[in-house]
Amino acid sequence: MSLLGNRWTRPEVGAAAGALLVWAFFALVAGEPFRGGDGAATYLNAAAPLGILSVAVALLMIGGEFDLSVGSIIGVAGMSIMLLTVHFGWSVWPALLVTLVFCLAVGLVNGLLVVRTGLPSFIVTLGTLFILRGLAIGVTRQLTGRTQIGGLDAVEGFESARVLFGSTFVGGLRVSILWWVGSAALATWVLLRTPVGNWIFASGGGPAAARRVGVPVGRVKIGLFVTTAFAAYLVAVTQALRFTGADALRGELQEFRAIIAVVIGGTLLTGGYGSAVGAVFGALIYGMVQQGIVLSGVDADWFQVFLGVMLVVAVLFNHRVRDMATRATPREGGGEPT
Amino acid sequence: MTPRYRARNRVPVRAKRVVGPLLLAAVVPLAACGPAREGSGAAERATPARADLRIVVATHGQSADPFWSVVANGARAAGRDLGVRVEYQAPVQFDMVAMSNLIDGVVASRPDGLVVSIPDGAALGPSIRAAVAAGIPVVSINSGDEVYRDLGVLLHVGQPEYDAGLGAGRRMAAAGIRRALCVNHEIGNVSLDRRCDGFRDGLAEAGGDIRLLAVDLADPDDAQQRIAGALAVDPDLNGLLTLGPTGAGPALAALGESGRLGRVAFATFDLTPEVAAAIDRGSMDFAVDQQPYLQGYLPVVALVSYLETLTLPGGGEILKTGPGFVTQEDAARVLELAEQGLR
Amino acid sequence: MTGPTPVLSVRSVGVRFGSVDALSDVSTSVTEAAVTCLLGDNGAGKSTLVAVLTGVLRPTTGRYLIDGAPVELSSPRDALALGIAAVHQDLAVIPLMSVWRNFFLGAEPVRGRGPLRTIDRARAYRVVREEMGRLGIRVRDPGQAVGTLSGGERQSLAIARALHRGARVLILDEPTAALGVRQASFVLQVIEEARERGVAIVLVSHNPDHAARVGDRFVILRQGRVLGHFDRSEITPDRLRALMSGQYESWDTGRSPGQSPI
Repeated sequence: MSLLGNRWTRPEVGAAAGALLVWAFFALVAGEPFRGGDGAATYLNAAAPLGILSVAVALLMIGGEFDLSVGSIIGVAGMSIMLLTVHFGWSVWPALLVTLVFCLAVGLVNGLLVVRTGLPSFIVTLGTLFILRGLAIGVTRQLTGRTQIGGLDAVEGFESARVLFGSTFVGGLRVSILWWVGSAALATWVLLRTPVGNWIFASGGGPAAARRVGVPVGRVKIGLFVTTAFAAYLVAVTQALRFTGADALRGELQEFRAIIAVVIGGTLLTGGYGSAVGAVFGALIYGMVQQGIVLSGVDADWFQVFLGVMLVVAVLFNHRVRDMATRATPREGGGEPT
Repeated sequence: MTPRYRARNRVPVRAKRVVGPLLLAAVVPLAACGPAREGSGAAERATPARADLRIVVATHGQSADPFWSVVANGARAAGRDLGVRVEYQAPVQFDMVAMSNLIDGVVASRPDGLVVSIPDGAALGPSIRAAVAAGIPVVSINSGDEVYRDLGVLLHVGQPEYDAGLGAGRRMAAAGIRRALCVNHEIGNVSLDRRCDGFRDGLAEAGGDIRLLAVDLADPDDAQQRIAGALAVDPDLNGLLTLGPTGAGPALAALGESGRLGRVAFATFDLTPEVAAAIDRGSMDFAVDQQPYLQGYLPVVALVSYLETLTLPGGGEILKTGPGFVTQEDAARVLELAEQGLR
Repeated sequence: MTGPTPVLSVRSVGVRFGSVDALSDVSTSVTEAAVTCLLGDNGAGKSTLVAVLTGVLRPTTGRYLIDGAPVELSSPRDALALGIAAVHQDLAVIPLMSVWRNFFLGAEPVRGRGPLRTIDRARAYRVVREEMGRLGIRVRDPGQAVGTLSGGERQSLAIARALHRGARVLILDEPTAALGVRQASFVLQVIEEARERGVAIVLVSHNPDHAARVGDRFVILRQGRVLGHFDRSEITPDRLRALMSGQYESWDTGRSPGQSPI
């Protein structure tokens, strides 16, 4: 079952323990407001969009690449939906579909650029980050003179789309939590149970070795960029429907939060090792710290201090895990293998 | 107002400050605050003793911002004066999603009263309605004057943006300005757009006109270059209005470099010690002051009054804190107060 | 040459980089169930010859034959399709992935259909144990990360994988170079096991002791040329060492050309 021999070295173990610790800490410090259902709803709701994004970004990072453009895709997708509906008078569903196609195309372009040019994805997607953010602001301003557009609730098809993407189901929990859990389950299944999952690990862990045995590394990576773009799209849709509008700046810095959540979740920055479940815990920790601080009545500025500490601890832990995984263990008995 | 100062710009500074006592500092205040609030739960809200009242101020600007630190100081002063507990919360950057999460968190902690700024009514609406539905009295400040009634907010305390822009435009028009540059440092902020609109209309009453310039304050050098460029291509420009104090620095530098300081009427929205000093020196003509101290102080007073006696000031209208205009006459006195974080 | 048709042979192969002859007029062959050692000092042309044999490089002149028939290889994939597999010392396996994931990488055993196909893990575990077992290696946990294996075990895993995928010719590029005495000895044992299974093995090495231990036939390269072919009976480690370093050059050139197996 395990990627590594020892069960405790599974990538998500550290993050799961961390999540438990963070929960216990705030349950103690913030007390009932955090422990109760309302508290749980607030940190789960806060974590869900980041969680959706992080699961996809985890796959991509395991595959050895970064996507810094996801935050901008959130912004551009939201604006695309709002422009098509409110400005051009489309109904909600066609706007969602066209925006989906656009986002997938962006992911495809990201992937093709990275794979064809061989340039670091960090640089390529940094470029896309600016291009898309600029487009979101520029085009929207050109067309409407604003960068915030509201009024989606008056558009035909809003109610049916809202049920699927922007509603709450039980006890104030948002439907985005279901998308989060669903995407995490799917990603875990792909990663651990399918050949494609094996190729993702290999594309990040040893692309040259993978190519030698016939793994289509380029196609795997392109597919992963399309996946992160899709996750960003999904976040944009849930937010547009919940807030009945969009802001060209939405999603700013979300790419780094996703990377933080993924790294806290035990995925190596260098690729080849990690898990989608870990990213779930990473996002959960992020949400719990963010909301826990509010619920404790402490100035939210402390959130960043916490986050920084968590990040450093996670990276140190992961570094240790990789050392253990890659170091040849000296054995007694010479050639006698285990 | 609504300076959407972005946290991003200040992160390095704040990080430096806290690097030393990192963990300790993070843990101690949390531990100290936790149990102290136990008594302020919803159950006891019916008969609150004043010392048990807990009012949370949740805005879109961090308390380390020059503007918002004055708001936070006002709120805290009101807490001290009235003997109630005041907490100040803000997301780490201008982000409506994060801010709605913040409000949700605050609501889950069941404060006795909530003060919010509403820079995006559509985005924050559901969270604010949830607070109202939970029986928490809500007062909005600073931004949200158009939506507060629809959301069930009791009172709005702030400066109507259009009126403030209009006032600034009329003031410049009276000084003979006919063509002015409006420097927007936060494209996408509706409140800032309305300031510009008011400014345009104020000048238009006298037959004047404005040009709009967008700058990014993450890069002050670039902002300065853009302003200098706009001045260079349009020699008829004889007025300049920045929509926030952070835009004033680059604008001042640009004016100085292009040798048009004193020949171009120069004003800004909002006040900082630097702005007050510049007015005192005569480098700037005036500042449109929305008096942030009152935006912190008054809502706390209003909420305590409401909680104890069900009375509210303002008569259901916006409780205006501005525009006030700071000119050379009172700049020296204002500067003293600004340096204490009170203006 | 008597005996069976060689599985793989090259005739008068030359490789020229600009004005430099990396290989000139190289003719040699490998046969089934035998270890053919390719020996030479650094720069003798071993790597270039391996690149030709595995389809990475196309020779400037000469012919390449499989089972006596000429073929043209344009990529390692072509070579692989013909049953010629190379195991390189660095690129063989991925340390962060488990033994079974490495073993089946690119050819995962699946069950189910269409998009719902999943890896048949039980079969994967069983096959890994079997295949490694056939080379005399007992695998306790196929889920163990390759990074925790010793260098010798990693090489052996790559060899087992190549054999499982139907390699008839196994080209091992310095499999013992980075290994200690015990680990090297372990890999040599694995090579002997593979030979017993009838595989044609090309062992590229500059270690005469290792070559002498498992080699059946020896090809010595010097300065891009074949210095000579030798049978096991003609060779000792010392003599190999001397040949590689060029001390026997005069002696060697005096030999009859009939020594070439082709």
